[in-house]
Parts: sequence; C-alpha cells; structure tokens
Amino acid sequence: MSIGIRNIGKRFGSFVALDNISLEIPTGELVALLGPSGCGKTTLLRIIAGMEVADAGQITLSGEEATHLHTRERQVGFVFQHYALFRHMTVFENVAFGLRVKPRGERPSEAKIREKVMDLLKLVQLDWLAERYPSQLSGGQRQRIALARALAVEPRVLLLDEPFGALDTQVRKELRRWLRRLHDEMHISSVFVTHDQEEALEVADRVVVMNQGRIEQVGSPDEVYSNPATPFVYQFLGNVNVFHSRLHGPWAEVARESSSQATAFVRPHDIEILRESVTGAIAAEVAHVQAIGPAVRVELTHQSEVIEVELSRERHQQLGLANGDAVWLLPKSVTVFDAAGSEPRRWVPDWVI
Amino acid sequence: MSSKLSHNVLPGFRLSLGYAITYLSLLVLIPLGALIAKSTALSPADFWSVATNERALAAYRVTFGASLVAALINAVFGLIVAWVLVRYPFPGKRFVDALVDLPFALPTAVAGITLTTLYAGNGWLGQLIEPLGIKVAFTPMGIMVALTFVTLPFVVRTLQPVIEDIEPEVEEAAATLGASRAQTLWRVVLPQLFPAWLTGFALAFSRAVGEYGSVIFIAGNMPMVSEITPLLIISKLEQYDLVGATVLAVVMLVISFVLLLSINLLQWWAANRHSGRSPVEALAPGARVEGAGA
Repeated sequence: MSIGIRNIGKRFGSFVALDNISLEIPTGELVALLGPSGCGKTTLLRIIAGMEVADAGQITLSGEEATHLHTRERQVGFVFQHYALFRHMTVFENVAFGLRVKPRGERPSEAKIREKVMDLLKLVQLDWLAERYPSQLSGGQRQRIALARALAVEPRVLLLDEPFGALDTQVRKELRRWLRRLHDEMHISSVFVTHDQEEALEVADRVVVMNQGRIEQVGSPDEVYSNPATPFVYQFLGNVNVFHSRLHGPWAEVARESSSQATAFVRPHDIEILRESVTGAIAAEVAHVQAIGPAVRVELTHQSEVIEVELSRERHQQLGLANGDAVWLLPKSVTVFDAAGSEPRRWVPDWVI
Repeated sequence: MSSKLSHNVLPGFRLSLGYAITYLSLLVLIPLGALIAKSTALSPADFWSVATNERALAAYRVTFGASLVAALINAVFGLIVAWVLVRYPFPGKRFVDALVDLPFALPTAVAGITLTTLYAGNGWLGQLIEPLGIKVAFTPMGIMVALTFVTLPFVVRTLQPVIEDIEPEVEEAAATLGASRAQTLWRVVLPQLFPAWLTGFALAFSRAVGEYGSVIFIAGNMPMVSEITPLLIISKLEQYDLVGATVLAVVMLVISFVLLLSINLLQWWAANRHSGRSPVEALAPGARVEGAGA
C-alpha cells in the first residue's frame, strides 16, 4: 500500500522537528529514512503511525485520507528499537495479541489463531521458543518476535524505528539481510528509520536522507552515494575530504568559475598520491599510515589540515610511504558546491594519471 | 552453596548476613519467640478454649474482616491515585503527592479522634450521612474508615515507581496492534502492575491488622460487634490475664503469618513467572533479577 506525505510540519516548542516534508512511498517499496539523531526521521515515522499528530499537512494511506485516524485504525505494523514486547506474556501470546483484541465478530477462532501464530513464528524461525517469555530471549530473537507480532494483524504498512539499533554488529548484519528477504517475500510497503548509512544503503530500495527537519535527497542507494545532491549528503554518506577551494591549487580554479566561496568534496579513494610534483598537485606530508583490511588508509597534512586518502595495497607497496614523507596529491574526481546552493558540479581533472 | 558464596562479587557477604540475622533476631524473632513460649504455659485444651472463646472469635472477625475491606478499598483507589499522580500533570500535583504520606506521619490517635469528630452524629460528615441511615462512628464501618485512612499510603507508594517504569512504547505497540484503550489497560498495563499491587495490598492489610490507636476512638468498642483483637488483648492485660493476652496474640500472629506468606508466594509467582523461574529459584542466593531490560 502506498503512503503519501504532504507538507507535514511539526514543532516541539520552538524546535522545528519537521519542516514542510513531502514524500510519496509507492506500494511494495522498502524505504530508509536516514539522518543524524534529531533530524526528525523518527518523528516522521511516528506521524505516519499516528502516534504523533502533525501541526500541518496531510497523510494518506493507499490514497485515502488518514491524517486524523487513530493509530489502531491505521493498520500499520510498528517495530520499536527496544522491542516493546509484553513482558508478562509468552512469545506465543505476544504474537497472538493483535488477533485476540479484535472485535468479537472479526476475531479468528482459537485454532485459527494458533495456526496463524505458529506460521509467523516459523517465518521468523523461532517456533521453538513459543512458550518462552521475552526476558529469556536474546536481543535479536526479541526483535524477530516483535516483527512477527507486528505482522500478525496483516498491516498495510510496516514501520520500523531503528530496528537493529540495540543489537551487536554480527546480529545486525544477519537481521538486515533477513529483513530484506522477508520484505521481498511479503511485498508489504516498509519504512525503516536508521542513522547507520551502511544499513540504509544495504537494505533499502530507496533512501531518504534527512537533516534538520528537511529532506536533503531521495534516491536509490547508488544515486545518493555516487551523486550526493547537497554538501550534507556528501558528508553524511561515507568519508570525504572537504576543501575550501581557494587554498588548494587546482580546486581553487574550479571555484572561481562561479564564486570564491565554494567548497570542494573529494572521496578518500579519489585522491592519488605521487612521489613528484605534477601540474595541479598539492604538497602534503604523510602523518599516519593504517594498513588494515583490503585498503590502506593514509592520513596526510596540508597546511595543518588533515586529508584522508585510501589506496590499494599494491599502490601502497609501490610507494612505500613512511611517516613524515613529503608527497604530492592529485584528485581524480571532485564535486564542487558553491555558496549560492546551485546544482553541484562534478569535475574530473584531465591530467589524471 | 559455599563455593557460590566465596565467588560473590560483593564484599562482606558473611558480615552483612550475620548482621541481618542478629538484627532480625533481636527485633523480631526473640520477642515473638518469648510470646509463643509464654503461651505454652497453658495446656493445649485450655489454649484452644481461650483462643476460640466467643468474644475472641468475634474480635478476629472484626479485625481481619475490616482490614481486608480496608486493604481492598485502598487497592482500588490507591491504584487510581497512583495512576493519576504519575500519568497526568495538574496544578498542585506535588502538594497532593505530599498529602498521600500524611497518614504515615500523623499520630494514629489524632487520626482516630479527627475521624470520630467528623463522622459522629453531630460532626460535619456525620450530620450529612446519618439522616440517610448510614452510621459510621462507633460501628464496624467506622473501623473500616479508620483503617482505610491509615493504610492509604502503602498501595500508592508501592505502585508509583512501577507505573513510572512502564514504557509508553508498550502501550503504543498495543495500539498499533488494534487494541482499544480499555484493552491495553486490562491486558497490558494492569498485568505488569500486578506483583507490586499485591505487595501494596499485603502491606496495607498487615498494617491494618495491627492498627490500634486510630480504631479504638471511632469503633465504639462494643464486645461482639466492634471490638478489635488488639483492644481485647489490651483489656486482658489490664485485668492481669497475661496468658490470655498472649494466646490471642499468638493466634493473630499465626493467622497474619499464613495470610502474608500466601500473598507473598502469589506475588513471587506473579513476578517471576515471565522469567520462567519458580519461587524457590527466585529465593536462591545466586538468582539474578532479569527482565528489567525487556
């Protein structure tokens, strides 16, 4: 089912949590709301669920007006960061809860409830825990039960608030893949909130990057990573070097085209380290070499600013860098944003080796 | 067991256990032991006849009956007071919160005299309700009123922190699953409060059973009708019937102990069933309290 968000605004006192947000989420899509804490992503999710009331704007579910519907009438499944399981009920009763509270006319028979709950527990691969209590489960198990509980009422939308936030890295990765698979099987529109860019890029069909109550960019994971629309997105997704272009030879020339107040962004793996000077290269000194994992990370200083560069292992061996070496840096790809906030310019220097 | 103790992380286990046992012995076990020892001066048959004397039986009924009613009234209204104090902001909330503790601080005799003055036939409340045929002062009803007043703080104060601890998310989760407000309250909120609610009930009940000061002023103290056991014990003492007084005390002690033990077992069961442990395990020294993070 599709979700329509139109001109939603929300304030808490003088703090603007959401500033005129509009977004369409088509049926069957898995969307990530990504942003730093305090950017309004959880508030937006809670407004979709009806747990928070927007000051302005409209929410539609399947095209139907839902702005003033009560949470229980919206048929949304909600998964909380800290699970919010009912402690005094067994796993089975937790999942059955949504079926048992249905009005008498719609409530399935005891046998039907049993069958449905056991099916869901099998789906989350925890049917062997049916008689346990939540306190006897691990975090990952609890979150899967919370998901089964949300799915029991056959929600039209599934909303997940930092669903993996309280779990450790291993369990997180496993659950991410599992959520993706589950989504592909169920084909239910899902929105999940996260501050973890890796999680958003790995799981979602579409990523909505938010900052300070506004949407910065909407796009596929590849789009937002490769073509960030704003300086914020550039910095939030992955590591990046920021240059105030006047200071840095070739980058300054780019900036001069539009205005002198431009900022240039270069990803660490888009910088080449050279032993001798070429046109456009800037001088730097090696400060620290970290050779862990497939790539080698080198920290350099240029006029007391730190520049981060990522090299392949082979290149690192050719160069044989040591702390204190004087080297030259050349950018392979640069994105420049000018102060006026116009479209970013992507620029690939022609003298790249 | 000894190996478990030696691995305990907290230092001073033996010292603090020894201290606790000595303290409890001096304050509770030795006086109670002396009481029971004294009562054995009578033969079992004599003991039984004193203990089941008609006037004594009536006094037990009044004492335990009125205490039970008072504890039940407070269980219901104390829950409401605690809920309101935690959940709703309103002007003067701190003041009302402080009022709850007053029955603790007020000398019980003052409470008894005040209530008697209010509910007597010419008192402020008495003159309003007596024409309706409701007589409070100098009847068993008066005992209930006094006991309800004195035991009010127990249920409220036991429930408040537990209500504060309920995560709002759990209620929101119930709402997303389609539960109405009443269903959420009945199926989600109240079951979580149940263990603490039982504790509050047990505390209120045991305090009511032992209450003396406030009751004797309002009760009228008519034998067989509105005479409580503690008063009967005092009157026996005044007649130098030391053994008779001890017998009644022992009977009260045994009934109270059995009632409190069963309430506690029920409470242990309620508190631990969702972590899958039996009361015996829950009592074991190595047992940890889990589920707080759930």
